[in-house]
Amino acid sequence: MIFKFAYRNILRQKRRTFFTIMTMTVGFTLAAIIIGWTDGSYNLIIEKFTRAYLGHIQIHYQDYLEQPTLYKNIDNYREVGKKLDELQTAESWAPRLYAAGLVSVGEKSTVGQIIGIDPILENKATGFHKQVKKGKTISKTPAKQVVIGKVLAKTLNASIGDTLYIVSQAADGSIANDMYKIIGIVESDDQMKDRMAIYMHLYDAQKLMVLENRVHEIVVMVEDINKVDEVVSQIENSLNNSQLNVLPWMEVNKSFYATMQMDKESNNILSYVVMLIVGIGVLNTVLMAVLERTREFGVLKALGTRPLQIFILIIVEVLIMTIASIVLGAILGTAANYALSHYGIKMPVSYDLAGVTFDTLISEVNLKSIVFPSVLVILAALLVSLFPAVYAAKTEPAKTMRFH
Amino acid sequence: MDEQIGKEVIVTENLKKTYHDNGIPVYAVRGVDLTITRGEFTAIMGPSGSGKTTLLNLISGLDTPTEGKVWLNSKLVSEMTGNELSDFRRDNIGFIFQAYNLIPVLTVEENVEYIMLLQGVPPEERHKRVLKILEEVGLVEMIDRKPPQLSGGQQQRVAVARAMVAKPAIILADEPTANLDSETSGELLDMMRKLNESTGMTFLFSSHDPIVIQRARRVITLTDGKISNDKIKR
Repeated sequence: MIFKFAYRNILRQKRRTFFTIMTMTVGFTLAAIIIGWTDGSYNLIIEKFTRAYLGHIQIHYQDYLEQPTLYKNIDNYREVGKKLDELQTAESWAPRLYAAGLVSVGEKSTVGQIIGIDPILENKATGFHKQVKKGKTISKTPAKQVVIGKVLAKTLNASIGDTLYIVSQAADGSIANDMYKIIGIVESDDQMKDRMAIYMHLYDAQKLMVLENRVHEIVVMVEDINKVDEVVSQIENSLNNSQLNVLPWMEVNKSFYATMQMDKESNNILSYVVMLIVGIGVLNTVLMAVLERTREFGVLKALGTRPLQIFILIIVEVLIMTIASIVLGAILGTAANYALSHYGIKMPVSYDLAGVTFDTLISEVNLKSIVFPSVLVILAALLVSLFPAVYAAKTEPAKTMRFH
Repeated sequence: MDEQIGKEVIVTENLKKTYHDNGIPVYAVRGVDLTITRGEFTAIMGPSGSGKTTLLNLISGLDTPTEGKVWLNSKLVSEMTGNELSDFRRDNIGFIFQAYNLIPVLTVEENVEYIMLLQGVPPEERHKRVLKILEEVGLVEMIDRKPPQLSGGQQQRVAVARAMVAKPAIILADEPTANLDSETSGELLDMMRKLNESTGMTFLFSSHDPIVIQRARRVITLTDGKISNDKIKR
């Protein structure tokens, strides 16, 4: 009966009800788009950032990340790789060796980061070959070839076919120096890598640094990035090696993750502001609907209706409008997010985040973009309805109708 | 029901109500001692401002007395509060208002069954009782209409049906004919008197309408908040 009563009450002022539902619907839709857009864009950024180089999970020797040195390395990386291959949740993996050295081409020299990679595994994990924009990528067999970053090439005034000299200190204390042929130029979204990186075959790097069969890092790609923590546990259990650290990307690059989270939070504030505006609109409507019916509430109380029943009646009226707006908002919000997830919005100016460049914002259709605005709309509507509902429940029959 | 006839249903003791209008005290009811027995068909008459409506408000618990006590069906209404008072009104008092005060969004049937719904009467029983009372007030064919689709007289008949359907101890009616023409008023009063005779339900009116006064069996005159005359017709 309360539902029927409430439903008919909200149909009394059809235009007012329509505009109230529309206010809530617009608020819901905006919140859904903000969330879809935020999640879509950040997931794209994360995917791009992790896929390009970082990886979803990294394995290192104990505290290598805190204090990286040549000597903190993994000496049985093929065994680790075998165990990773056995895990269905680990999509691919790639070993890397890192070293620093003085590099020169002709009379130009600078400091560079030597990165030894296994071309087959690296291409599979991060699509390294796609980042080689000029020349060709490193051959599958070691051939003393290097691919260098675009900015580094500019600094060294180097071209494809030039010879690159590397001088460093090998792991055994000897002088590591050798010559390599530049066969390609890398242009990635990672500015740091473009400025410093010298990629060579893992075998060549191991030989140069006297680190045969050793690597400093193994990156792992997972099928579902949202299950990265789960896969980390699986890898830890599988390796069962306390000397190896298995870390998700969020811990490998804490500052990037913190930036993402902070940006997400600031976008959530936008949703709260939208709901505040919706709340004020709903408060106005409910208050009007209550004030013009005080006499009726007086009659209901005179007939024996309890204050709580009148309170519930008002809340149910608001909830009916809220549910209608959630249904409409969910349809509109999902449609908008679906369209934006396919076409996206091209930014007039690209921007850089943690060294990765982005130029398109895309949205995402997800459950959160429906659930979060639903909770917000319900909370906002209920919160602003409390005062009018209490006011209605406290109606004094004698004062409001004086028996007439 | 007949065994109950003659038993006290309303008792007031030194009932007083003082309002304050901009700090100035208004003595609306000044010490009313009144006893109404079951089955009475009584009218309280008096000029405007004599305290009729305030007295009915105090008796029904819609307003609280400044001083004095009200017993209704042997229960001390004047000291009840909150849900206890709501439940007591729901189960013991039927109201008929001057402006009908039906719920406009509910049909005739829903308006009449509203109190039974609050009481938790099962749907079949509710429907049966609604049909019976609407038949008695002559509005069965209007069962699905909403109040705005009815005339004033018809709305007041629905109000009578709503007041009586839950079989309360007493029906309080404030100026029930004030918005009706004399012919409709007469018909309504005749109908209520018939119901009073057939059910033994107690009716207490406040009115200065001669049609009401003429049909009442007991007429209490209120002057300046006090009973100035109390006459039982033979």
